[in-house]
Amino acid sequence: MATSTYLSNPVVKIGAVDISDQCTSATINQKTTALDSTAFGDTAMKNVAGLQDNSIDLELYWSTAASETYATLKSLIGTSVTVTVQGSSAATSATNPLGTLTGGYLEEIPVEYKVGELSKTSITFKGGTFAWSES
Amino acid sequence: MKYLIVSDRVGTPGDKFEPASPEEAAALLAGGFITQADGKSAKMETEPTEE
Repeated sequence: MATSTYLSNPVVKIGAVDISDQCTSATINQKTTALDSTAFGDTAMKNVAGLQDNSIDLELYWSTAASETYATLKSLIGTSVTVTVQGSSAATSATNPLGTLTGGYLEEIPVEYKVGELSKTSITFKGGTFAWSES
Repeated sequence: MKYLIVSDRVGTPGDKFEPASPEEAAALLAGGFITQADGKSAKMETEPTEE
């Protein structure tokens, strides 16, 4: 069975900024809400598609150096931006699809400082439309 | 408005940058990723003259 294991190759962009080397985790949540359409006469639950409820979760090291995480995010809170995630930097293809969340809203930037640890932030871009592209 | 790339996180430094929206340009300018290519300093209202 062929599997795809990504240990260090994924490419993550927030807007036009490639933030991959600060990112330790990226989770794409592609969701279409299920609306209950069950009616009399049905013998099982039925659903139809509702609104998309997509999001992308990122874990980033909280670097405040020039052109790093802080510089990337500081102007984005309370705004919507395009976020892309791809398995590798190779050309987009059917085996290396590009996931794009268009209009993801950044609600909060939680930052935790701990002694003896690299500071990180876990952020979520909520809403917007999501699509995979293969070319 | 024209922009030049400053940080290699956005592209090749020195190349022109076409923002997808004014909001994107503002965020990238604030972060120091790009710079305005054809703008004078906001503090400079007139062309400097040789004396």
